[in-house]
Order: sequence, then C-alpha cells, then structure tokens
Amino acid sequence: MKIAAALVIVLALVIGLVPQFTDCQSQGRALTLQNGSTVPMKCHWTAVAEIALAVPLFALGAVMAFSRRKESKRIIAGLGALLGLFVILLPTALIGVCASSMMLCNSVMKPTLILSGILVIAISAGTLITSERQVEQFA
Amino acid sequence: MSMIALRDVTKTYQVSKEVAVTAVRGVSLNVERGEFVIITGRSGSGKTTLLNLAAGLVKPTSGEVRLADVNLWSLSDREQSLLRNQKIGFVFQFPSLLPSLTVLENVALPTMFATNHKNRDAYERAARLLEVVGLSDKLSAYPRQLSAGQQQRVVVARALISQPQVLLADEPTSNLDEQTEQEIMNLFRDIHGQTGITIILVTHTSQLVAYGTRAIAMANGAILDA
Amino acid sequence: MNLGQFAWSNIKGSAFRSWVVFLCAMIVAGFSLSTVLIIRGAQDSLRLALDRLGADIIVVPEGAETKVESALLMGKPVKVWMPQENLGKIARVPGVAVASPQLYLSSLSNASCCAVSDMFMVAFDPKTDFTVEPWLKHKLGHELRLGEAVGGSYVFTPEGEENIKLYGYFITLKGNLAPTGTGLDQTMFMTFETAQDIARISKTRAEKPLEIPPNSMSAALVKVQPGADTRSVALDIMQQVPGVTPIESPDMFQTFRQQITGLLRGMLVILSITLLLSLVLIGLIFSMAANERRREIGVLRALGATRGFVFQSILAEAALLAVDGGAVGIGLACLATYLFRDLLMRSLGIPFLFPSLPSLVTLVGGGLVVALGGVTLAAFIPAYRVSRQDPALAMRE
Repeated sequence: MKIAAALVIVLALVIGLVPQFTDCQSQGRALTLQNGSTVPMKCHWTAVAEIALAVPLFALGAVMAFSRRKESKRIIAGLGALLGLFVILLPTALIGVCASSMMLCNSVMKPTLILSGILVIAISAGTLITSERQVEQFA
Repeated sequence: MSMIALRDVTKTYQVSKEVAVTAVRGVSLNVERGEFVIITGRSGSGKTTLLNLAAGLVKPTSGEVRLADVNLWSLSDREQSLLRNQKIGFVFQFPSLLPSLTVLENVALPTMFATNHKNRDAYERAARLLEVVGLSDKLSAYPRQLSAGQQQRVVVARALISQPQVLLADEPTSNLDEQTEQEIMNLFRDIHGQTGITIILVTHTSQLVAYGTRAIAMANGAILDA
Repeated sequence: MNLGQFAWSNIKGSAFRSWVVFLCAMIVAGFSLSTVLIIRGAQDSLRLALDRLGADIIVVPEGAETKVESALLMGKPVKVWMPQENLGKIARVPGVAVASPQLYLSSLSNASCCAVSDMFMVAFDPKTDFTVEPWLKHKLGHELRLGEAVGGSYVFTPEGEENIKLYGYFITLKGNLAPTGTGLDQTMFMTFETAQDIARISKTRAEKPLEIPPNSMSAALVKVQPGADTRSVALDIMQQVPGVTPIESPDMFQTFRQQITGLLRGMLVILSITLLLSLVLIGLIFSMAANERRREIGVLRALGATRGFVFQSILAEAALLAVDGGAVGIGLACLATYLFRDLLMRSLGIPFLFPSLPSLVTLVGGGLVVALGGVTLAAFIPAYRVSRQDPALAMRE
C-alpha cells in the first residue's frame, strides 16, 4: 500500500509540475490579438488546471499511505480514479493543447498527462481490488 | 506380513572425504499392522534416520526396506512418491505447515499429489478432519495465526487426509509445553484406537512410552530392545 | 488446488522476491518491445515514404542529397534549386518514362502572415506528376484548382478558420494523405500555379515575399520505363545532365538508414546487457528462494510430491511472474511509444510510424514469449537442482 501511495505522490508531482515547463507559455509563445496584446494559448490553461488536480491527488497519496480499513481504501480508489480521469480529459477533451504536433505541449505535455492519468487509474483499480480481498481486521 | 519391515539396514553419511558417520547400523525391525510403536533414544541415537529409512526418504547404504511387502527402493521416484502419498502420513518435529496456505489448504495439500481420485472432495474431508482435531473454527486462518499446539494438530489432520495405513511421527511434541504434549499424545492414542492405524512415533521423552503398544530404545544407531 | 494455484500462493508468500522478478520481466519485455517498435516503425516509415514518392529515381542538385532527404523524411524545409532546362535533358535520357519537376518551399518562421511556421511546401506539375495526382483522382475526383492544396496527415486548418494562411494568401485544404510517419506528414502539396500565385500575392501581403527563382526547380522525380535498368538510367542521367545527382529509390534515405542501423545496434547492446543482468538476477533470486525453502520442499516430497512436481511448481512460479510482469511491461511500452511518438521522432531524428493492429498483436506476442522464455530459463537450473535434493537432508536444520 505504501508503494502505491508513493507512486501516486510521484505522479501527482509529475502532473502538477511537468505542464508548467512544457506549455507554450514556458517556451515564450503566446497568441497575439489584433490589438497587439498577447494572451496565453489554451495549453497554458490546461497546465494551470492540472495543478488543481495534482494537489488533491498528492493529498490522496499521503492519506493512502496510512489507510488500513477496507472502506477508506474503497473511497480512496474511487477518488483516485476520478482524478486520474480528469487528468486525461483536461488536455484531450475539456481544454486541450495546441493542435500542431511540433509544439512541445502536444508532443510532451499531453502524452505525459495521459500516461500519468492512466497510471493513476491503474493504481486506484489495484487498490480497489486488494481492498475487496482484504479480510477486515479489527483492532 | 509386516506393515513395515527393515532387514539389516545400515545408513552411513559421508560427512567429508575422510569422515563417515554411521547413523543406523544393521537394524532389523518388523512393525505389524495396528501396532503403536514408540522409539526412544537420545539425540544422535539414529531414531530420526530410522524413521526416514522406513518412509523411503533416505536410501539405506545396505539392507532392505519394505512397506506393505513392497521393496521401497525397487520403485521409481514417481511410484515411491505415490506410495508415500497414499500409505504414509507424516508428523514432523519442526513447523511444517506451508505459511502461504490456509489451514484448510494445508490439510488438503497431500491430495494434490494423488492420482487415484482421492483429490475429489478434498476440502470437505479436510474440514471434517479439522473438526476431529478440534480446529473447525480455524479453516481460513494462516499458520502464523495459530499456536504451536494448534499447528501440530493441523499437521496431524494433514497426515490423515489420504487415509494412510501408517503414521510416522518424528518427535511431534518436542517443541510443546507439557499440557499441549499430553493433548497431542491423547490425539494419537484416540486415532489409533478409532482407526487401528499403524503408528511409529519417535521421541527422546521416555515417559511417552505408556501411550504405545510397544516400546523400542535406540542408542548409537542400533536397537537396544526389539 | 492445482499447480497454478499452488505456484500463485508461493508467489504471494514471498512478496519482495516476487516483485523483483516481476519488475525484471517487466523491464526486459518492455524494453524489448520498445526497441522492436521503434526500429520496425522507422523501417515501415521509410518504406511508406518511398512508396508515397513513387519515383524510381529522384534527381536533385549536386551536393543537396542529404538536405533533400532530410526535407522529405523529417519535414525540415529546404531550398535547393537547379535550372528548369534540366528537366528536358532528363526526360530525353534513354529509359526514362516520365520526369516530373517539384519545387521545395517553406512558410515563414513566426510570421503573422503565416498560420504555421516553417512548414515544408511542395509544388508539383499536375501534367506530369505521378505521386499526388493518383491520390487526387481517387479521393477528390478532380485535380487541385488554384488556391487549393492537400496536406500530410498532420496538416490541418486552424480552429475557427476556413483556410490556411500562407504569406498572406488563403489556401483551402482539400484533404489529408494517409500517415507515413515521416516529414511528408507535415508537408503541404500544391500545384506550380498556386505556388506562383502565392509568390505574387506575398509581395504585398507578407512580411517577407516567397521567392521562387525563375526557370528553376528543386528536384525531378523520374519513373523508368518497364524493363529498363534503373542503375543504368541513373548513370546516364549523371553523365548527360551536369550539376545533378540522381538518387535511386533503394538508395534513398541512406543517411537515415545508417542512423537507424546505428540506433538498432546501440539499442540491441543495451537490451542484451539488460537481459543478461535480469536473467542473472532472476537466477540468483530463484536460487535463494530454493535454498530458503529447502525444508518446505523436503516436506512436499515427504507428502508425496514427485521431483517433477517440485520442478514444475518452481517453473510455474517463474512463468506466472514472467507473464504478468511481461504483460505490464509490454502494455506500458506500447502506451508510451504511441503517446510519445512525435517526441521520439524528433529526439532520435528518425521517421516513425506506429504499427497496425495485426502487426502490434504479433509483436506483443513475441514480447511475451521473450519474457516467458527468459524468466523460465533463468529459473531452470535452481528448479532442477532443488527438485533433485534428498528430502531427508533437506529437512535437516
């Protein structure tokens, strides 16, 4: 359980930090409007939104390390799977990243988030399976 | 026909190139069907080796070992293993339950090696045997969750799962306290009384000879009383 | 309980050891599959690119071979020119069936007049072209009109727009070609007429005009007559047309082939080392496990297990861990290779196309076999030795 928790914490850090260095904003690219001002591209907003998922995921990992009861493991698994799903949806369906495959946000940020999200879901599924097999131990 | 017959059996271990140790020297022993034989002796007297020879677990340097009139060492490994599985039950001195299996799985384990359909209903028979030894509430427990005495009772149940003709017990109570020792010995006596199974029990405690129908003493690899 | 269940209970009973073997199998299988996917992907990609080009010989200005290969394979725009009159000379060489000229252009970098930066643009002559034209006839049913273009699989019209802006000129994207995993996927194809129109408009509307030297072309694609020897034709072209280099199709992309071969060698070395170390580690782990379980195995033998059963049960443990670890490793390898394919292409500098599903299934099966074979091989000797030990001796302390 502690190993799974450590993995979730690491993935939370990846989800929160990697997009900050791989979105177009960090590469000095932005959208130029007709009036001359610049606004960030949508990959930047995806990166910001991922922080909002990474923080609760980090906390979830910390709680996971100390959870022993079957019921709490089930809840953690459910929350983890949900967060993992949104990690994947943000760069693909909800906000998105730049369309060109040449952009770093498309070639690095998006696949990293998808892979991390899949791993979070897999770990959550594993936690749920092991919790179902657990014989409840009373102190 | 004796149940177990050892004819002039010797077992010598080559400890090193120069040093050889004779654990059993020229022993002849007949154990009849239905006997409860208690073999006593100090550590190093050769009693465990004698038991292993009787079970076919170790090959004699010379002599013959027969079980139900079959020369054990004329059989292939497969035939010997099958014979052991069907005709002999073992109770060991050391904790011999597999830690990764539950109590029920441990008792049913020997049926996994059977090829004569004795593995059918294995779990039901195992549960019944655990009831006989007073552990019907521990079916899904793991060995680490049992006391030493409880573990030994599970081992006795396992020894009986294949309905063997012979029960071989190697110092089964040496790690137990006095009260538990009595419980285990009573269990052996009850099983012997109810089923008429042939039992050979090895111990260094001479007080236990009262539980058997015959007592044999060993020293320096030889039998003192036949 | 059967052998598999018994092996599984032993796996659960020694969690740390099982995890180590699992991880070794995962790494070996995953790395093997990644290696094969990358190399196979690069080779498939090269093959598709050559098929797409459709030419037996590509004639380029002398010294421009590497630049042109780079443009076609990696999508890095290039500007190379040779006199248009070379086309006539090439067409007259005996054995040449068709010679079709192409112009290699590129969009501007970070210019507001271009929707995409540094995109490779290829202009072709619709009268003689035999690469894009067949696709156009099949997919669109007509040739490209003025202001129209087709793109590789990565070319698209920006969101919310109806056209692609290049040099201040609005181009209508009529369709996308199938992916090749090469730079052709990021290339836009248009007619000579459209390219000249862009050059004309760009003088007033673009930050920098599109310069097309008059009476020039970048390359000529050649189809040889049936039965003609491509090598002889190429040699004749070299002799009769000064200042050009003809590249035969099989020799095309030599630089990249060498790169792929070099990469393959490097990856095979790393894979061999990883495999060897993993097998040694797994062998050691199973030896340790067999040693620690000597007494337990002695008990099993006393209960009636044959030598064969003991041997099979240890191999079954190895096989279960190999399959589970291998499956996870392979799954991760497939996922990572697929998700990061663009990054792989750019960082390794080779083309890459993810294999089709039937090919992938075959490769996955192969990967599992490697994992299974490797792990069970590593466990073979410890399993054999422990199955042969004397049960009575094994049970002694």
